[in-house]
Amino acid sequence: MTTADLWIALPLILLAVGALLTLLIGAVTRDDTAATAIGVAVTLGAACWLLQTPPLPVAPSLGLSAAGLPRLFSCFFLLLAAGVLCLSSGYNRARGIGGEEYPATVLFATFGMLALASATTLLTLFLGLEAMSFGFYILVAVDLKRATSGETGLKYLLPGALSTAFLAFGIALIYCVSGTLAIHEAVQLTLTSGRPDPIALAGWGCLLAGIAFKLSLAPAHLWTPDVYQGAPAPVVAFLSGGSKGAAILLLLLLLPHAVDASHLRIPLWGVALLSMLVGNLAALLQNRVRRLLAYSSIAQMGYVAVALVSGKGGGYQAAAFYALAYGVISLAAFGAIAVLERQGCGETLDDYRGLGQSKPFASGVLTLALFSLAGIPPTVGFTGKFLIFTSAIRSGEIALAVIGVLLAAISVYYYLKVVITLYSKHTGTADASHPTYPEYSVLILASTAMVLLGLWPDALISLLSHLLP
Amino acid sequence: MNQFPFLTLLLFLPLAGAFLLLTMTGREKLARSTALTIAVAETVLACSAWFCQGNSSARGYFLFEDRPWIETLGIRYTVGMDGITLLLVTLTALVTVIAMLVSWRSITERVALHFLLILAMESGIMGVFLSLDLFLFYLFWELMLIPMFFLISIWGHDRNIYSAVKFFLYTLVGSLLMLLAIIGVYLIHGEQSGIYSFGLAALTGTRFSPATGLLLYGAFLLAFAVKFPLVPLHTWLPDAHTDAPTAGSVILAGLLLKTGAYGLIRFGYPLFPEAARTLSPLLIGLAVAGIIYASWIAFAQKDMKRLVAYSSIGHMGFVALGIAVWTPVALSGALLQMVNHGLTTTALFALVGMLDERAHTRQIEDYGGLWGKIPLFSAFFVLFAMASAGLPGLNNFVGEFLILTGSFKSAHLATALAFIGVILPLVYTVRLVQEVIFQEERRPLPMADISSRELFILAFLALADLYIGLHPAPLLEILKAPVALLTGGVP
Repeated sequence: MTTADLWIALPLILLAVGALLTLLIGAVTRDDTAATAIGVAVTLGAACWLLQTPPLPVAPSLGLSAAGLPRLFSCFFLLLAAGVLCLSSGYNRARGIGGEEYPATVLFATFGMLALASATTLLTLFLGLEAMSFGFYILVAVDLKRATSGETGLKYLLPGALSTAFLAFGIALIYCVSGTLAIHEAVQLTLTSGRPDPIALAGWGCLLAGIAFKLSLAPAHLWTPDVYQGAPAPVVAFLSGGSKGAAILLLLLLLPHAVDASHLRIPLWGVALLSMLVGNLAALLQNRVRRLLAYSSIAQMGYVAVALVSGKGGGYQAAAFYALAYGVISLAAFGAIAVLERQGCGETLDDYRGLGQSKPFASGVLTLALFSLAGIPPTVGFTGKFLIFTSAIRSGEIALAVIGVLLAAISVYYYLKVVITLYSKHTGTADASHPTYPEYSVLILASTAMVLLGLWPDALISLLSHLLP
Repeated sequence: MNQFPFLTLLLFLPLAGAFLLLTMTGREKLARSTALTIAVAETVLACSAWFCQGNSSARGYFLFEDRPWIETLGIRYTVGMDGITLLLVTLTALVTVIAMLVSWRSITERVALHFLLILAMESGIMGVFLSLDLFLFYLFWELMLIPMFFLISIWGHDRNIYSAVKFFLYTLVGSLLMLLAIIGVYLIHGEQSGIYSFGLAALTGTRFSPATGLLLYGAFLLAFAVKFPLVPLHTWLPDAHTDAPTAGSVILAGLLLKTGAYGLIRFGYPLFPEAARTLSPLLIGLAVAGIIYASWIAFAQKDMKRLVAYSSIGHMGFVALGIAVWTPVALSGALLQMVNHGLTTTALFALVGMLDERAHTRQIEDYGGLWGKIPLFSAFFVLFAMASAGLPGLNNFVGEFLILTGSFKSAHLATALAFIGVILPLVYTVRLVQEVIFQEERRPLPMADISSRELFILAFLALADLYIGLHPAPLLEILKAPVALLTGGVP
């Protein structure tokens, strides 16, 4: 192991050490404030480290990459994890979710995301994804006092395990055809121009099916509403922003290397259409806010799939942009929900009635996030959708763009439904509970990012255009 | 003047004010007066733009700002002001002040938020009128929906939520398709010239195949037709108007409806001259249908606000007719009519709002005999009703006259039919005036004549109506150059 390796692996090492440290802290004190503080410090420290190191393509012996795209996403995952940890401490205390294992698991999951991001071989990719998923299997079921928690955990674990099997098998088939695990060559050899090997195509099919589970793309979306409803709100923010971001990143690490990705066009096209349809239409019928957002997330991933279909016509950049945007929006939306739930708000739409007056801050953030999901300018959601539709039209996917736009218009109805409920006539009594300072800071940062990236996306877009074809 | 970012100030002063108001939640008096101060300052700014007209520079815009914004996508912050914009910006500033004044007392809940939204909306509308970059235009186009949505859904009456959502969805479906069309134009122009830009100046003159042109123009037209609104896309308007608070109705009728017409004039025709010419019979047909149909429906209305709303659709039909024939005279008439309609309808909604505030009913059948009880109010009511009906000497007459004169040459039948639309409003307006003002009192209602605040609003609008009615030449003079520039390509 050389110094260069160490430099690149340092964020991973930091995370692992931090996770172990939080576990050890538990032996000394049962107060999880210290554990959370260590978690936040470690994630922010690792993010700072990543920001200041120059981009290096590959670490010689570890097979870890520190190129631009992995670094960008790693930073994003780390900041997201820090935000989630900040939100969790108050929420967990109110819910009675205790212990140092929570921050430790968040750090382990983040470790997985970073490993995935910096992978240069299919094996590391798979291991990273698995490490991340393992963390989430625990996190979604961490609220042991809730009766539905076990059900939620199982509903995430079983499809998750199945998707892992698909992924592993897909990678095996791709390896079988290409004879290499290195991402670049494996993709190039299996997605060639001309007639591809049927076994390779089967491998890619399995891989896509596995990823579809992670991204909750229809028809592999069935776990989403239950998990979004049952898991603790900060975990949902992490799952929605981080895990899906990682799954999109996985595709972005693979697909751009393809000589000819058109063999995957038809399955992606179908999945995109189906996800937009199922997500948007099913969300219309929901009267629980989290379920509504779960279906909305299925629809949003459909838009990402539209970008992936568009591919090299700016589609990969749009997908990356939207992955980051959706992460920020998820953090804001579920962060706001976490704050509201911590203060005693229920989960049905009726429980949200009049919160705009009694809890103006969290409701304001949630409203902004909902407008962003709906793609209303000047939020990042609008810019993301704009990029996606531009890439779709540029690659000639006009039918998909028109359907997507019309469904986006429909989607506005259910987002507005929540907003209206928030700002309808207030019936209950106003209570004086305020968000805590960590909650304030996370939500303010996420809101600022939503607006700033909406108004001045230039830096991010040009960065992505250097990193992706 | 070129160095000083005058237009930017004009654009963002209300928005800055809205942010200022965020800090004033709960302090009603302070919020109200701050908002009014900002709106008045904005009006002063808008009026001072009248003195900058001399230096006609780039493409007829006498004030022009252009800065890079999202360079990777060729999006620039381009705003400009010519005569058309000048009129509409001034109208926006004035109507906003009036909207604030009419809701001065009637809004008692969440006052700061209400005035904040009005200011935010003002910025949005200013942006629509000033933007010369399609992306920027679209941004403001969507942005102005949100405050209106909240105005209707929070302070509206009856079926406010239904109406707010309907308003939002109708306009959004149209504008999202326009977004796709904007992207389409952007990409086609980029492929043709190698320069990817959203600037109006760059995109004008892009060549489209006939089918593509029609498709793209159709998407634009749909978005604008919803805003106009043209029959059969008008059904959101009566609901939104009826259920909106008075300030909402005033802004909706006075300003929001103008954005559709403005968009068609500024973007629709210049970007797609051929497609626009091909589809102009359709637009003429819809305009005339709207004029007659809306007037006919207005007869049946029992709610005064609904009646005014339907009369709005009719009047906007004239504007659509004026634009559709695209001759200099008709276009000037259409633009003047936009201002006229803004002033007159604002006044009518304000009047109905005042009645509603006093007697808490808007049903025509509840009123009667107001002439004896509140003479000053009644006098204004008659004046504005007559202005709306197109009485010569008042402003609407001038606009309608110009539109009909300008369109007769190229569309005989349509113009002849539109004449019916001149007569019908007279009939239902006279009926309205007769029932509300002159008939015997039907129910004892608490009535007080107008306060000095209300007198100020009405007197101001009345003077403006009279001025344009008697001496429209200065306004037409302002419109002359930009209209000539716009219609230059079309015989």
